[in-house]
Amino acid sequence: MSKKNWRVLRELFWLRFHGLTVFRFDFFAPFFVDGSLFLIQLLAFGAIYSNVDTIGSWGRGGMILYIGTFSLLNAVNMTVYFFGVTSIPHKVRSGELDLYLTKPVSPLFRLTFERISPGSVPLIVMSVCMISYGTASLDMTLSAARTVSYLFWLMLMEILYYEMEVIIRSVSLYVVSMARMEQLEEAGIDLCMKLPGIALYGVYKVIFYLLLPYGIMATLPVQRMIGEMSLRGALYGIGVVALFTVITYEVWKQGLKHYNSASS
Amino acid sequence: MRKYWEISKTYMKAQLVWRADVIFNMIFTISKILFAYLLWGTVFQDKEMVGTFTFHGMLSYYVVSSFLSQLEMSEGISSEIHDRLRNGTFSKYLVIPAGIERYFMAMELGVVLFYLIFDFAAAAVWVFVFRIRFVFAGEWQVIACALVMTVLGMVFMVQLNYFLGILTLRFEGIGTFLMIKNNLVSLVTGSIVPLALFPEFVVSILRLLPFYYVTYLPAMLLTGKCGEEAVRGIVIIGCWCVLMQLVIRAAWKKYFTAYDGAGI
Repeated sequence: MSKKNWRVLRELFWLRFHGLTVFRFDFFAPFFVDGSLFLIQLLAFGAIYSNVDTIGSWGRGGMILYIGTFSLLNAVNMTVYFFGVTSIPHKVRSGELDLYLTKPVSPLFRLTFERISPGSVPLIVMSVCMISYGTASLDMTLSAARTVSYLFWLMLMEILYYEMEVIIRSVSLYVVSMARMEQLEEAGIDLCMKLPGIALYGVYKVIFYLLLPYGIMATLPVQRMIGEMSLRGALYGIGVVALFTVITYEVWKQGLKHYNSASS
Repeated sequence: MRKYWEISKTYMKAQLVWRADVIFNMIFTISKILFAYLLWGTVFQDKEMVGTFTFHGMLSYYVVSSFLSQLEMSEGISSEIHDRLRNGTFSKYLVIPAGIERYFMAMELGVVLFYLIFDFAAAAVWVFVFRIRFVFAGEWQVIACALVMTVLGMVFMVQLNYFLGILTLRFEGIGTFLMIKNNLVSLVTGSIVPLALFPEFVVSILRLLPFYYVTYLPAMLLTGKCGEEAVRGIVIIGCWCVLMQLVIRAAWKKYFTAYDGAGI
């Protein structure tokens, strides 16, 4: 990232921060809403594990780690780029995207970082607590190498999460209404945040490992952490991220060519 | 009563405008069934029974629970009241020659009656697609109790959402609170996991709350379980409806003087 982009990022952050602090309860709204969502997941799986020992090969600790990992991916998403990226369809429809195209900074860069949500930071803290609790329940020795590779997979999957969000919102550059795409995204995320990839098979695996790869987002980092990841799985994960990076770049680039200002 | 039936009919017809919504609502009912099918399919690989559920009994529960929660569409009432109070257009309901709460009840009835047949069709399709050996209650008395309880549960949810909408007059913004409420309701109505999987003391507490009787107990009754709770359940949810009505009246009397028709 160039020095100019860092300066832009800093300014965007402070502008957003001042705007958010006007409404203090709304400032922490993402934390309360998403925090309650993931705590409820923990309670629900606590109830399941009081009746069963394992789900697939994962015990209670593995599942807590999974929920914590998904929560962390979501927390970073909410803190850094969610509110910016999800505003793309509105900006396309209203023609507001014109302003972004004329500025001397990448439109996608500004859209991504202009609505950072500092109120979601407690979500990151909460997720880290869940992950710590999960690893403690797993009763395993946490080496530096394992932690670093878990963080590497987290970063990779966060990129994938971002790319999926951008691809889905970029559809608004091609079509008039994209409410169904957002509904599809919501259904996919809702399913995969409750269901680890190890429970998927056959056509469901194709859908959630390749077409809408929400199924690998928290599964691969957890598999790496608990030592279940195979070389094939690792190469597959990297391949999917690379593929979606290319798709995101092309969809956004071609989409901008379709953009006809307010008439889009 | 006739004017309220006219309101119901108007809302029933209004749904026809959004045909794509109807189709996609039907399709997206699959997400809950798919979650149950994959999760419990993995769990039941090693077990015959979980709690009091067999695999097909569990899936039957999710089909009925998903059908009932899909029918319960009153959450839009609170956001409708919230938005209209804030922008000053709530006056629309004051000039209509009908009781406001009864208007929303009639609206809910119209929407539910319209979706009833489509959601039922969707549930039947998923039973067929996932080859579920559907478990259904044998006694007509239990079925009748479940139906009465479902209706009372829906009335309670309309009342609750109406009450939360009125609270806009006190708190100005209730959007965040509504999202948190939706997360909690999904847990305590047994939409994520059957409440029977929670420890007994938790279930005893939940039995005192109205949400237990909104979708969970009717779904259990319709799948041939908890028959002994049927009559007691109707009495409890009936009492909650009466209590909620008193709370609504008190809140209306206390806060409605704050409405000036100009928005908040």
